[in-house]
Amino acid sequence: MKAVGARLPRYDGLGHVTGRTQFVDDVRVGKTLWVKALRSTHHNAAITSLDTSKAEAMKGVRAIITHKDVPKNVYGHLEGLGVPGDEPLLADGEVRWLGQPIAAVAAESEAAAQAAVEAMEISYEERPALFDIRNALDPDAPEIHQWGNVYPHYGPYNHRRVRKGDIDRAFDEADTIVEGVYRPQAIEQVPMETQVSLVVPEASGRLTIYSCTQAMYFSMGVVAAHLQVPLNKLKFVGGTVGGGFGGKVDTATETICALLALKARKPVKWRWTREEEFLVSSTRAPWHIELQDAVSKEGWILGRRTVTLHDSGAYARFSPYGLTKHAFHHSGAYTIPNLRFDGFVVFTNRVPTTAMRGFGVTSVSFAVETHMNRIAEVMGLDPWELRLKNANRIGDTSGNGVVLKDPSTVAVTLAAADRVGIELSAEYRGMNEEPRTGALLPEHLVAQQNLNGEGA
Amino acid sequence: MNLIVNGSEVEIVSPPLTPLLHVLRDELDITGPKAGCQQGGCGTCTVLIDGEPRRSCLTAVAAVDGASITTIEGVGQAEELSAVQAAFYKHYAAQCGFCTPGMVLAATALIERKGGPVERDEVLEALGGHYCRCTGYVKIIDAVMAASRGEVDSVDDLPVPEPGQPEVLPKGSPA
Ligand code: FES
Ligand code: FES
Repeated sequence: MKAVGARLPRYDGLGHVTGRTQFVDDVRVGKTLWVKALRSTHHNAAITSLDTSKAEAMKGVRAIITHKDVPKNVYGHLEGLGVPGDEPLLADGEVRWLGQPIAAVAAESEAAAQAAVEAMEISYEERPALFDIRNALDPDAPEIHQWGNVYPHYGPYNHRRVRKGDIDRAFDEADTIVEGVYRPQAIEQVPMETQVSLVVPEASGRLTIYSCTQAMYFSMGVVAAHLQVPLNKLKFVGGTVGGGFGGKVDTATETICALLALKARKPVKWRWTREEEFLVSSTRAPWHIELQDAVSKEGWILGRRTVTLHDSGAYARFSPYGLTKHAFHHSGAYTIPNLRFDGFVVFTNRVPTTAMRGFGVTSVSFAVETHMNRIAEVMGLDPWELRLKNANRIGDTSGNGVVLKDPSTVAVTLAAADRVGIELSAEYRGMNEEPRTGALLPEHLVAQQNLNGEGA
Repeated sequence: MNLIVNGSEVEIVSPPLTPLLHVLRDELDITGPKAGCQQGGCGTCTVLIDGEPRRSCLTAVAAVDGASITTIEGVGQAEELSAVQAAFYKHYAAQCGFCTPGMVLAATALIERKGGPVERDEVLEALGGHYCRCTGYVKIIDAVMAASRGEVDSVDDLPVPEPGQPEVLPKGSPA
């Protein structure tokens, strides 16, 4: 613990301030080919024809790949957990989002690669697209994913569920029911370094992959799966990320570069333009969150019903995992003994969504905290007191059955009140995390309390 | 065409309309200036042209024929940091480091121009077109003001591990 509270210099700080830190785009390996992709110009369409022959004959073009060149084209980020894959690396017969890659070219210059992309001949048959998760379950909504519009692989369910206590009784006993709908929207992570990788085929047959990924071993697994090669054929070089914020978790460029490097037998680099970063890189998801709380007139939250729709975009990627985290955090920093949560990962014809700074959690925290203020307003209660009263305490049980040993809600709430100059009464100012007793242990919180420290 | 880059005269063979950013990075292998947007919006490609901060992505090399160009590589080395670099290092003004070369150069030009302490407003104006997605800017602004006053925080009070405890000293930059 010597490092806590000390002013340690950044281990990479000297490289950063002198401009010597080597980002992926700064790696120099002699003659490198540039990559550009043919991308879908429709949100949802069948590909009726694709002809790359003119592009292949162009000066400076060294390799072109389509889905036919990918040993395992369809893959899913959750295959390791037994969930089948759903997303093609390169579109095969259809496209589901504007900007989806269909073919990729490696050429001697960025301009030659772009010219080759423009020479590719493609035709589409447009299909109706779905953009709003709230319409995905309508009977007349277009079905846009092979699994239907809702991700179906939560064990026996097509949604993530949390069930705790007796929710119907909580609503019967409530003095007031407070409802709210919260819709945090998509956000692009906007790292200053756009997606980039450089793949060098080695004489040994291995590939050296310089990557800006936030998730080295995961990316290695993704590339190995698509290429159907053992991990020892790949040498990943990473660890220097020019900002990621979640946007560099999904593997964006590495696999396509690896396939092109193998085909062209040359080093290959793909650096996305700022337009690509904005238009086709994965974003934080949009959500639709409905909260319904059973509240007593004393300001106890007796129960919460939640329905969440999580916009996954066109494919699943990590959204089912993000929604699981969302589910675990849906009671916020508060103890609510009766819960019913139903969360759906919904497909739309948008760019697939992914992590961003608190994957799935920041959205539900926004909803919960806004809802706490709404409850206070509806009930005529002080929002600080409402939070402190319902705050997690040692021995309380979370929505997913974890017995809390060191909750920090009370300390954080008191510190926040202090910072913004809120005067709390002595009763609330003196609160701490210790197990509930007396007035803070009303009848409805007794059964959930577990002071043996054993989790369910 | 010729340029004086970080004090050395070099002959340029790229076509005249090539952006200076590409000349530096791809012809001369000087990779301090970064390609954050290549359309003048982000500031990561900033270099000093005859002492003035300019976006190298929007500057055709022919337009600066004969000029003196300073990139981050010409500002200082790890063993010999400039005041602005030392301040960025010690105030934790660089996180991922991608915006840092442009920030350091723009700040260097500001302090040079002012010739003394700079105010917060002046920093905001000088760095206004430079995006940083990591730091939230506060530490960058603090660093520039501190550098202009010659007051740089210390990071030297490193903890000493007790016998048998794991080493906590940082190993230094991998760069
Ligand atoms: S790269 Fe020049 S301003 Fe962004
Ligand atoms: S330190 Fe990462 S963008 Fe500024």
